[in-house]
Amino acid sequence: MDNLKVLCSKLIKLRVDHIVTRSAKFTVKYRPPHWYAPKVNVVKDDDLTQDNMQFIKEVISDRNDSQQELESPLVQSISHTSQQWLPTTRRVGLIARKIGNYPVWSNNGKKMQTTLLQVVDNHVIKYIPPEEFKPMLTTERNWREKRKLGCMLVGSETINPSTVTKDYCGLFNSVGMLPKRHLRRFMVSPEAALPTGTPLFATHFRVGDYIDIRAKTIDRGFQGVMKRWGFKGMPASHGVTKTHRRPGNIGSGGEKARVWPGTKMPGHMGNRWRIIRGVKILRVNTKYNVLWTLGVAIPGETGAMCYLFDTVLPLRKLKSSPPFPTYFPSDDLPVEYYDECVHPFSDPTLTFEET
Amino acid sequence: MSLAIRRTTELIGAAKWFLRRDSRVLSTLPEKVEEPPAELTSKRYRRRFFQNEAILETRHAYPEFLPDPNPNWRNSLREKLERADMLERRSQIDIPEFYVGSVLAVTISDPHAQSKTNRFVGICIERKGCGLRAEFTLRNVVDHQGLEVRYDLYDPTIQSIQVLRLEKRLDDKLFYLRDALPEYSTFSFDMDPEILPEGTPIPVNPVQVKLKPRPWLERWERQELKGVSNIEEHLKEKDRVRRELRKTPWEKYDLMKQYRKTIPIEDQSKIWAEVHNQLQQLQMARKKSARKRTFTTPKTQLG
Repeated sequence: MDNLKVLCSKLIKLRVDHIVTRSAKFTVKYRPPHWYAPKVNVVKDDDLTQDNMQFIKEVISDRNDSQQELESPLVQSISHTSQQWLPTTRRVGLIARKIGNYPVWSNNGKKMQTTLLQVVDNHVIKYIPPEEFKPMLTTERNWREKRKLGCMLVGSETINPSTVTKDYCGLFNSVGMLPKRHLRRFMVSPEAALPTGTPLFATHFRVGDYIDIRAKTIDRGFQGVMKRWGFKGMPASHGVTKTHRRPGNIGSGGEKARVWPGTKMPGHMGNRWRIIRGVKILRVNTKYNVLWTLGVAIPGETGAMCYLFDTVLPLRKLKSSPPFPTYFPSDDLPVEYYDECVHPFSDPTLTFEET
Repeated sequence: MSLAIRRTTELIGAAKWFLRRDSRVLSTLPEKVEEPPAELTSKRYRRRFFQNEAILETRHAYPEFLPDPNPNWRNSLREKLERADMLERRSQIDIPEFYVGSVLAVTISDPHAQSKTNRFVGICIERKGCGLRAEFTLRNVVDHQGLEVRYDLYDPTIQSIQVLRLEKRLDDKLFYLRDALPEYSTFSFDMDPEILPEGTPIPVNPVQVKLKPRPWLERWERQELKGVSNIEEHLKEKDRVRRELRKTPWEKYDLMKQYRKTIPIEDQSKIWAEVHNQLQQLQMARKKSARKRTFTTPKTQLG
């Protein structure tokens, strides 16, 4: 009884002083786009019988066939509606895999290093017009932004639907496609829109054109200051102890007696999105859909996925009309296209004329 | 019956020859060559075995057709495209079989030269690189000055590669010629090509060079070189001790290291099956043209 009284008195003394309420300013800082869905689905097929497995395989192959049938009439319908290309229009891009580097020689005998990018099984998944497209909110507001560009989803590499989540699969189901391993958006002008299921090829770009390539750089992990920022380090000898690869001083005294923001320090290096702009296309293989691009600075290691689109650099922008809205497949194509400056390996040996 | 016996002896001789040939470290199989089973039951099996062996033998003559074994850089499509490009270049210019230690004459087109061509003769001291990146280095001594020129094997400015003396040396790299007496790397530019009779194995030149006294460019004593005769003369006790300390005798038992440096036999046979026919055709064409060349009348020299 006593205990109960004590408890009651204690409870009476309790007061609610501070109530936390959501302020009116509260906003969602990050909202993924509606088409984003978690992808990987870990399936344990212990409870699947052999017959069920067989059935699933059949369904997948049927859907694959039906999708291939779906492609052809669509392609024909667009090729008739030809839109006009303007220097301000933005075309769709491609998803490519970086497959390695090798040298190519130019017509004046100079060796050029090239990066090979293979365009793997690219299809247009969906076009979202500018009115309906609502990208994710970010903390940085761009007030001047006027939504003129639509969003084109492009997928690459068809995969087994049972290996991905229902959400991710549903995204493709809604447009009648099979799920793709890589899904990416490209901002395009409304006149460059393409219907679902349009295949995209390496011939979307021409030789001699310049492209921008967006990819993730090689993940180098946590790195010191010498590798990450190219610091010089300190001497190996002459009495130096325990400080050979360290940054040294990171600030001065007085007013600035603290570490200034942005000081270069050790940390995680690589695995960031980077865009290399204005890369020239030297050669295109139409059989395997491979692009040879000048230089070895394309981010990522061999096998990394890259996203290619027409360059935005003012002096290297497209000057004449490219295949617009994209290249439509035709049978009579040369296997290889070479830029003017490239010496094909099948050509005779280079000789220089006496002048 | 006698014919069959002769054929078998030939085959055994061929097998012995395969065994004798040394294998390069990079881009090779393990050194052991698989012996055919003792009692060869079917003739077809035997023929296929030796055919396969013959295909694999091309790895010595064309080492650059094997890709870099680093798995991070490998991609089957890239390798395929690269090989196709290499064959296209080979259809334009005759790139002969040569080894480290062979003496070559290379003519390139040079925009800065008076005659727009440049010819260089020298001993091949190094061959490296895979695919279109393959390169070799020639060394010669001209006017008491050592010269080394590195050429890309598939450079389209190369007009011709002529093998003046086809032979091998005792080592895989001959960088020690830089510290050797100059007569070991001196070759005259008007050297005549030495023609080997067809079908003979590549001769190994057992010459051992004499090094100049120290200082040297590298620590040759630590590299277990077979082609140097007087290395011990120039060593001090300290160097001998250090050499012992630096030895890594366990590395030859490191199977993983060997595996990482080589392309497996299954991959190799796929690659060779792809390119062997075309290489064979190019070789036949080369032989034909070489035969023609021998019958041409010599030019009359004036003056």
